[in-house]
Amino acid sequence: MSAAIDKLTRQAKAQDRFDYSAADIRPLQIEALNERFQEQKDRIKLLGLRARDAGTTEITAIEDVVSLLLPHTAYKSYPESYLSEGKWDRLTSWLNTVSAYPIGPIDASDVAGIDDWIDRLVAMGHYVTCSSGTTGKPAMLVGSPKDIAWSQIDTVAVFEWGSGVVAKQDRMLIGTGAAAAVPRNIKIGEAQLAAFGNPEWPRWSYPVPPITIGSMTRQILMRKKIADGMARPGEIAEFERVARERQAGLDAAAGLTAEHLIANREKPLMIAGMWAGLYMIASAVRERGHGGDEFNPDNCLYSAGGLKGAVLPPNYRDVVHSTFNIPDGRQFQMYSMQELNSGMPKCRDTGRYHVPPWLVPIVLDKGGDNAIPHGYSGEVEGRAGFVDISLDGRWGGVITGDKITISYDPCPSCGNAGPSIEDNVARLKDLDGDDKITCAGTVDAYVRGVS
Amino acid sequence: MSQSPVPPPPAATAEEEIVSAPFFYRGELVEGSDEMHRSRDLGVRFTTPKIDFDKAVPPRTEVPPLLDVPLAEIIDFLAETGQRLGAPGNAHVQECFDRMAATHVLPRPMLESVSRHAVSQLDKRVLLAEVEQNFPDPKALDGWVPKHDFYGRRSFVRAFAPRLIHVLPGNSPGVAVKSVAQGALVKAVNLFKMSSADPFFMVAILRTMADLDADHPVVRSMSAVYWRGGDESVEGILYRPQYFDKIVAWGGGDAINNVIKYLGPGLQLVSFDPKTSISMVGREAFASEASIDRVAELTAADVMAMNQEACVASRFQFVEGSQDEVDRFAAKLQHYITVRAAASGDVRPYDRDLKEEIEALMMMDDDYGVWGRTDGSGLVIRSEAPVDFHPVNKTANVVRVDSLDDAIKYINVATQTVGFYPFERMADYRDRLASGGAQRIVHLGESGPSTVGNPHDAMYTMHRFVHWMTHEDGVEPVTPAPG
Repeated sequence: MSAAIDKLTRQAKAQDRFDYSAADIRPLQIEALNERFQEQKDRIKLLGLRARDAGTTEITAIEDVVSLLLPHTAYKSYPESYLSEGKWDRLTSWLNTVSAYPIGPIDASDVAGIDDWIDRLVAMGHYVTCSSGTTGKPAMLVGSPKDIAWSQIDTVAVFEWGSGVVAKQDRMLIGTGAAAAVPRNIKIGEAQLAAFGNPEWPRWSYPVPPITIGSMTRQILMRKKIADGMARPGEIAEFERVARERQAGLDAAAGLTAEHLIANREKPLMIAGMWAGLYMIASAVRERGHGGDEFNPDNCLYSAGGLKGAVLPPNYRDVVHSTFNIPDGRQFQMYSMQELNSGMPKCRDTGRYHVPPWLVPIVLDKGGDNAIPHGYSGEVEGRAGFVDISLDGRWGGVITGDKITISYDPCPSCGNAGPSIEDNVARLKDLDGDDKITCAGTVDAYVRGVS
Repeated sequence: MSQSPVPPPPAATAEEEIVSAPFFYRGELVEGSDEMHRSRDLGVRFTTPKIDFDKAVPPRTEVPPLLDVPLAEIIDFLAETGQRLGAPGNAHVQECFDRMAATHVLPRPMLESVSRHAVSQLDKRVLLAEVEQNFPDPKALDGWVPKHDFYGRRSFVRAFAPRLIHVLPGNSPGVAVKSVAQGALVKAVNLFKMSSADPFFMVAILRTMADLDADHPVVRSMSAVYWRGGDESVEGILYRPQYFDKIVAWGGGDAINNVIKYLGPGLQLVSFDPKTSISMVGREAFASEASIDRVAELTAADVMAMNQEACVASRFQFVEGSQDEVDRFAAKLQHYITVRAAASGDVRPYDRDLKEEIEALMMMDDDYGVWGRTDGSGLVIRSEAPVDFHPVNKTANVVRVDSLDDAIKYINVATQTVGFYPFERMADYRDRLASGGAQRIVHLGESGPSTVGNPHDAMYTMHRFVHWMTHEDGVEPVTPAPG
């Protein structure tokens, strides 16, 4: 039975979906959590293991789900050698431990590499998305065709809600950064193009070779080889030469993108990217003597993520907005993460992220062991956990490394009654810093230059 | 219902006990709560005074206080300090362990035992042997040693007192004792940067010394303070060749990366790098059931060195045998680890990431064997290659090999101690281990002890500390040929 799940996910496009107060919706959410749990506990080996360890057989309260929240690392717990030595059959059986649908045996004898492995899984209906870490193993998140269909709907719905832009196929879509070419991203891009893109105008993809999982893992494998003392100096020199070439390509791409923007400055644009890339391209447009009023006043902006370590001048947002003539309220931003399949869009004026009813926020103590009690009013601050009830192909319970402040009061600006998260999300790790000093340690401290 | 409408509890920090960590400047104790810090791992708060830079750094125009104090007198003073530190009822030490119990991950009895052992090394014979092993002629510490070469050139050489900043590690209080002894033996001007896990023990040692004789030149050569590693507002001031000759640092990662920024002409790094230790067990271990048992017990002793917080603690065990044999060994090893863990009273739970990694291996049971629970009570993983993660908190990774030769490729520049069995085969392996980067090969079960005065981390430490000063004194007059 999935009556409660259906009731919640049916709200996907409802205009008032952020207006359900947490107190009102919580009983239905608990019911839906239990439906998902009952459905998946015997299908997902890792969830089953967690449930047995905690002695959980049923979810009747939020506490019951805390021990079932999985960190990012759960999705990269496979032995690195499966990847570095191309043990695709083993990697497949590992993936089976986190997948809600059995992944049939795959003939690993002629798999050409990780990109090929992922393509074969997609062909079988298992959409694997990898995180883009450069120093550690990539996380591998498996999703079902239902999950892909859901994110295609959600990506359009959150953008409409958060930017006020109506999907009527009238824009030119502009990518301002190299996006990882993973199956879920590709599908989301297709949905955005179909909803917002003028069919006459092709989407401008950032002109660099696609970043595939294979190209990301090359760096990880090289790092491992250096750590093991197996990389010869000539090999490191060649690796660095390729990296320099790639960087030169990235630099050139900014100029080409700026020129494309200038050439199309009168068309209504939907510009997407990370702040560092957006700022770089806005500067390139300015350097070429353009920007401001000559751009279409109906433009909109989809900015993703934080600064990710980039150092930008304090007025970077203004520079981007004024260069591309983005009207107030037309900048879309959301809070989410790869482990979830749904976004939390920012409401237009106040900049609070709104949590939809099928996403259950759980604010935890710093260690992540206990949910912080609250009375459905006021603010609660702590480590963010979520259960994405919409998730079908893997367990939707996630514990993050983010510190959030959530409010259970109606949003002071948009008035929606549902929970909302303040725009001050921080990484717990960054807040704590690293003051660790001990004589016991690993060879990682001796590896330099490839991260 | 969990999130039922109840008022939120008061902020946890309100009830948290805040301990205070005083500073020590060349005999003067300074208390204060100007700054609030957090200890690593436990997140406990403690307060310190603000650093008085001018007190922490005596000017170079002052000759080091210990320069003209004979080595023998320094050794006497250190030995006397050792007696006082070891004496029951030393209030400074008691108070320090009371405070440390709040900031350190290891159980108090273990910390006390580690520090007792370290204090026992403040012994005249030990200290003298350390000096004699480090310096071909220890007289160079006490005065200008005359030299002359075959061209007839004459000179004097002195192991001159250096100016040292010691960046102490947080994992073992033993390092504080060793550092204070070495700093005194080379007659250095010393500034100790304490760690957030233990911002107390060094000050307890120095206070004990000051009780003996507050004006003693050893005491006037020592200062101890705390700042958060990487704090530019402190390190940017202190890490200058005008103030110090060498930064003596333990560890890796951010702690060392921060220090490296400040190195340059005149300011060198003496680094005790972060290390991983291993065991190598030959097929001879499987000669009998009793033998497996004994070898597993020896291995457990190495794994559990300071409950695996130490750099000498074994993390990977390369075992020569069939899977069946190696599995029997692994099961026994896990047994002995849990016995030691239980006896130590250490009940730290696994951190989340480690638990995730190991649970994944439990589910991949075709490739991996796992003995024990992921609750920090002692666990062993058997695999065909070392696991990707760093085994900590009473976790051992037994790697099955057909021949110990196959383990050589896993030796790297981070490998410190190799506990070996059987002992007769050690000589066959030591050259290849050294070539790979390893620093010590020891009898299995004896990762801790080393011969008095032996090198640490592949160097004679005190020899590197000193400022080797020469006084060139011209050429001997040539005796005119007779006739």
